[in-house]
Amino acid sequence: MLIINCPYCGPRDQSEFSNGGEAHVKRPDGSKEIGDREWGEYVFIRANPKGLFYERWVHTHGCRKWFNCVRDTSTDEILVTYKLDEKKPNLNNFKSVVKTPSGEPEVGSGNFTVEK
Amino acid sequence: MKSINLKENQFIQFHQKISFKFDGVKYFGYKGDTIASALLRNNISIVGRSFKYHRPRGIYTCGIEEPNALVQIISEYSEPNTRATIKKIYEGMEIESQNRWPSLENDFGSINNLFSPIFTAGFYYKTFMGPHKKFWKNLYEPLIRRAAGLGKPPKDFKGISNHIHHNVDITIIGGGLNGLLAAKSFINSNYDVLLIDFEEQLGGIINNSNKISSIDNKEPKDWLKETIQEIEDSKNIKILKNTLVTTYNYINHLIAIEDRFVGSKPIEGKVNSTLHKIRTGHTILCNGHIERFLSFQNNDLPGIMLSSSFEKYMCRYGLAPSKEPVIFSNNSNSNSLVYSLIKAGLKPKAYIDSRSGEEIEPNLFDLIRKNDVPLYTNSQIKGAFGNKKIEKILVEDSSGALNEIKCDCLCLSGGINPDVHLFTQSKGLLDWDEKDLTYKPSKPFQPTITLGSASGQFNFDNLNSDINEKLKTFKVKKLDVKLELNTNAKYNIEKLWEVSPQKKSLWAKSFIDLQNDVTTKDIRQAITEGFDRIEHLKRYTTNSMGTDQGKISSINALGIVSDLLDKKVNEVGTTIYRPPYAPLSFSAIAGRNCYEFYDPERKSPIHNWHLKNGAIFEDVGQWKRPWYFQINKDESMHDAVQRESKNVRENAGILDGSTLGKIEIKGEDALEFMNLIYTNSFTKMKQGSARYALMLGEDGMVKDDGIICKISDQHFIATTTTGGAATVLGCMEEYAQTEWPNLKVFMNSITEQYATFNISGPKTREIMKKAFPNINFSNEEFPFMTFQFHEFNGVPIRILRASFTGELGYEIYIPSNSAPKIWDNIQSFGKEFGLAPYGTEAMHLLRAEKGYIIVGQDTDGSITPIDLGLSWMIGKSKKDFLGKRSLTRSDTIREDRKQLVGIIPSNKADKLEEGQHIILDKEIKSPVPMLGHITSCYYSSTLGHDFALAVIKNGHSMIGTKAYASTSSMSTTGVDIVKPVFYDADNKRLVS
Ligand SMILES: [Zn+2]
Repeated sequence: MLIINCPYCGPRDQSEFSNGGEAHVKRPDGSKEIGDREWGEYVFIRANPKGLFYERWVHTHGCRKWFNCVRDTSTDEILVTYKLDEKKPNLNNFKSVVKTPSGEPEVGSGNFTVEK
Repeated sequence: MKSINLKENQFIQFHQKISFKFDGVKYFGYKGDTIASALLRNNISIVGRSFKYHRPRGIYTCGIEEPNALVQIISEYSEPNTRATIKKIYEGMEIESQNRWPSLENDFGSINNLFSPIFTAGFYYKTFMGPHKKFWKNLYEPLIRRAAGLGKPPKDFKGISNHIHHNVDITIIGGGLNGLLAAKSFINSNYDVLLIDFEEQLGGIINNSNKISSIDNKEPKDWLKETIQEIEDSKNIKILKNTLVTTYNYINHLIAIEDRFVGSKPIEGKVNSTLHKIRTGHTILCNGHIERFLSFQNNDLPGIMLSSSFEKYMCRYGLAPSKEPVIFSNNSNSNSLVYSLIKAGLKPKAYIDSRSGEEIEPNLFDLIRKNDVPLYTNSQIKGAFGNKKIEKILVEDSSGALNEIKCDCLCLSGGINPDVHLFTQSKGLLDWDEKDLTYKPSKPFQPTITLGSASGQFNFDNLNSDINEKLKTFKVKKLDVKLELNTNAKYNIEKLWEVSPQKKSLWAKSFIDLQNDVTTKDIRQAITEGFDRIEHLKRYTTNSMGTDQGKISSINALGIVSDLLDKKVNEVGTTIYRPPYAPLSFSAIAGRNCYEFYDPERKSPIHNWHLKNGAIFEDVGQWKRPWYFQINKDESMHDAVQRESKNVRENAGILDGSTLGKIEIKGEDALEFMNLIYTNSFTKMKQGSARYALMLGEDGMVKDDGIICKISDQHFIATTTTGGAATVLGCMEEYAQTEWPNLKVFMNSITEQYATFNISGPKTREIMKKAFPNINFSNEEFPFMTFQFHEFNGVPIRILRASFTGELGYEIYIPSNSAPKIWDNIQSFGKEFGLAPYGTEAMHLLRAEKGYIIVGQDTDGSITPIDLGLSWMIGKSKKDFLGKRSLTRSDTIREDRKQLVGIIPSNKADKLEEGQHIILDKEIKSPVPMLGHITSCYYSSTLGHDFALAVIKNGHSMIGTKAYASTSSMSTTGVDIVKPVFYDADNKRLVS
């Protein structure tokens, strides 16, 4: 079970939180005309990368606040959490993550047991 | 095997005899014995039958790694698959062997050993997928079902366990030499430390072997006593004994199981085990090593055990399982067994080592020579033989000659492995050590430290420096412990995984996994068939997939595979060890979350009244809602529902609607927010009026419905469906925070703060007048879809004129604490008008007669408001609301979408069934084009026939036509497609 650092309450067990999918997806302004494709992409399409990912969480069984984070989807490591009105961090800042050619960290991905 | 008791032992109380039963026969052991040590004391060598071939099996080890000696504890709710090597006996314990019929000695299933050529690697896969499918049902399945498997599942479940949470700085796993030294470093420091050991006594190798002769110039057991005392006295260290860490999760989250009744029968009603959930800053793994076995012909015969286990029985349980065992080794770890035997006045019948004379440690050599132990160097055991137990072995000596040695016990040592299970669970990486021939922890993923043999340090010479170096970051005091050993400190091993047999035989087997009955031949066959990746091979052969996860054998399998493939072991890799480290019972995981505590039950404030008045309850989410009320025991559900609904149509009924979700929305921008969340427009709505409203997802599909009361532009109260309350509040919060943070609006649930009574029926107004005499209920003063605040006997109440039945109706909102009193009050005033309670089933029938939908029953997440014929609810002039744009997507404007219609049987006497298809043809001839299905279906005594709601393709334009409904008896019923309103279509009753 993960520990997630709520920007309002501090570190808490994962069971208090709910995941809200990809972060920084802006809802198109409904008062303007937009095409089926653009709207459809907003409603149905989300990124699902292996590796670093901007993600939304909500402290459901806590302060009920939404916030954003950067999570490495191949290790589940949460690198930073930040409030909705804070600027999104540059992914290049997270150099500590070792990458293998297939795009996953050697240690912690669960797909490797032996050091190569 | 003839065992003898050794005289002195600090752990066994030889004066305290304990009686227990094994397979119905009474035996005696001593206080402190495990089932295994007690059975060995009674010279019982067969304790179970193997999984596939039903071969007789004995006790192979002296600990948690045991693959064979699994027993069923009859006296503890018939707990199966208990390791006999760790479970302590107590007076009156009843134990049964597993996997045998009719008896352990004469097992019918052992015939499987004769069929064994069928059961080779991939047997299950081939039988499932291969051309023998016909045989599967008739031959294989019955055979396997009877033959394979471990213990029987318990019939009863009464074990109680609880959960304890810990939040500490450091957790030390393993209280052996290194664990104790690590704990000693933290004595009286500022760290909160948890020291966990699986056994009753701390000490590990100090208790289990004669390897160490002195520590700090003291007898090891004296040093141990002093050190444990110091640790116990330290205020910052907590010790958990009899506690096994089974799981190492992300972020140093550990799960450990504590046995609360070691050596005594669990008391019914008391906590039997405790599940510890530990969050720790650092984990220090001191969980030691596991000895591995060797493969040769019949290496599973009872009487064969690991050499360190034999020594543990001597040191820990005061018992030598045999007076003169033969020892077969390829490494220096078995040296101390020779030493222990000779110290106890016994000696090995022979010492066989695959290593050459030069490699064997000089002090072992001396010991063997001095005591005239027959020594075979450069030698290997070709096979073991005997009827149901070992009787003789065949040794190939350095000259290649074969020697037969008679023996009743054989001790094996194939080398030792660091116990890396927890380390790999933590996602750390391993590295193969070519010299020590084992995988050792190399790169941790988490703040994990490994010490001692758990880290691959098999020698004691740099004990101090290793601990001091690894604990440097904690800035604790440095250790300087002096250690003297009885045996050679340098671990030495020669590569040997398997000895090939002298004679090939279909029945004599060389096992690589004892628990799952996997042979070395199966490994060869799997590789020949192309399963040469270790993860594939594991699944194909089931090697190391037993409950012991191949603790004594999985590394041997890797060795054999790497030789066969001519690859380095590191290239072959190892399979991932999964949690839990050892099986833990479901009752421990469940803890207190069982029976009535499995899921919270929510009850309305009127619940006790329902109980007294014949309510039969229905679960709606976590809520208990009256489904219908039985006026006497003989009344059927159908009769009760028809009686209740008829009474609402003719007199008046009252429904406890307290479970409906209620959300209060406040703030400067509340009006704008509500306009964005719901499809309806609330701008022109008058204060004090209410509106039926729909909430959509961004995909345009109906997500929830409810009634919105507008108190002012800054204050609304919304109701939601019973099941949707949390989701709707969550959705409102999400949009308020993430998309429209500029709107000043706040919302909160008030579901449990208010009870809701729904009263409806033609006589409702009369009842309301009597119950609330100060309020004017006339149509002019209190029109349909308006609400008023009042005070009643000092209680603030809100009355809303609305109805879900189609009759004149009111909803009364009352603070929960005052609700039962007012409910009773209404009941007493209503009596003369025939007021009766009704449940959710009658409510469903009444609303369906009126064509009101239930979100989640008549909709399924693919239905838009337009599909429901509710276009009038869409605020078309609004610029935006949730899902608005989706209502004009190419998919949602299609004309052949599934749309809500009413269905009545063309012949009124016919029955309809919920969930059945609507089709065009009377004959069912495949393929049958399916138009849609019946979502709600009831018999109505008001109408006098069955009726239904359905969603069907192009439904709106099919109204007035005929079709067919399928039936569960595979025929069809002719139906008329009608408008989805069956009662009072012009709403006269509603607004009068
Ligand atoms: Zn929070």
